[in-house]
Amino acid sequence: MNFNSRFLNKKLCNYHFRNCIRWFVVQNRLYAKATSFPDFFQNPIFRKEDQAKLIENSELAKLAAVPVRPPASYETCSVYHDPLVNKVINHVMEMGKKQLARSLVEKAFENIKRIQIERYHLAQTQEEKNKIELNPKSILYNAVENCKPLLQLSPIKRGGITYQVPGPITEKRSLFLSIKWLLEATNDKERTVHFPEQFAWELLDAANNTGKVVKRKQDLHRQCEANRAYAHYRWQ
Amino acid sequence: MRFNTTLFSAANQANSRRPQKDPVPFQMLLPLELGKTVSGKGDKLKEAVCMQEMAVMFACFKKTEFNQQECLNEVASFQTCFNNYNDKMKLSREQGRKGILVPGEKTLTHRQLNKLLRRFPPKK
Repeated sequence: MNFNSRFLNKKLCNYHFRNCIRWFVVQNRLYAKATSFPDFFQNPIFRKEDQAKLIENSELAKLAAVPVRPPASYETCSVYHDPLVNKVINHVMEMGKKQLARSLVEKAFENIKRIQIERYHLAQTQEEKNKIELNPKSILYNAVENCKPLLQLSPIKRGGITYQVPGPITEKRSLFLSIKWLLEATNDKERTVHFPEQFAWELLDAANNTGKVVKRKQDLHRQCEANRAYAHYRWQ
Repeated sequence: MRFNTTLFSAANQANSRRPQKDPVPFQMLLPLELGKTVSGKGDKLKEAVCMQEMAVMFACFKKTEFNQQECLNEVASFQTCFNNYNDKMKLSREQGRKGILVPGEKTLTHRQLNKLLRRFPPKK
């Protein structure tokens, strides 16, 4: 995000050359390159929670006079819109077939719901029943959270030898790796097993802090631990 | 007959292949005074941050067979350390980019230094 942020003072002055107002707003581009809108157009704040936060921080007045890009079709203030689910759908999507990706993810959610309700009814005592999470979205959140790596290995060449140097990982990259690993584990399946079925199982496993993906994360941590002697090579 | 090649390629006093003779005479290629600006090459930070926190986290991981749930404190301290470092770097980068001079700052970026140098140019 940092790479895309830029200060608007100068640009906006050129744009509104009549009455030059100094704005102190940083543009965060979410898309790779400027589309039909210039860079200084702000991204729309379409979620009610975010808007409430802006009002609370009294930053709304700052944004009131700034030009804003219109929201995309998937950016809605609907209660069904969830940023993480949207992100996962985009990761599942191939060749721009969003409807298919969405139906696959929703089918996986349905499978999770079915499995959990079955477990719920099989449980004998009330205590056991209370422990079972029935909301597929919160299961997805838990699963992604449990699969996020804390460290990464970056190759650094020193004296002709490439060392794998452990270091901290940014929030954004760890989220990316988490979703990517979950999908890789899901796609590593028999041809006869369908995606939504396998994805549901992987999510349930990961939410339970077990399974292939959590093991993969722990393996990465193990490797980082084994290479910790090289950690001081970072940023040199 | 071709002397030219042999004559001119020999290491004699006139060409540069001759062995260097001490003392080497000093040639002034650039004026001997300080420049008006500094370059930004030395600004790169040469330290690995959060090493202490990482070591503590690894020790905890080893104890608990890499189960993250049992090392929540260590993990949180490592992540806050890295986040604090990122915030600090972001702030200093922004101030450095704009060349804002913070009074009492010991380590200056090259932009801040150049601003100071423009204001107080080196005396001849």
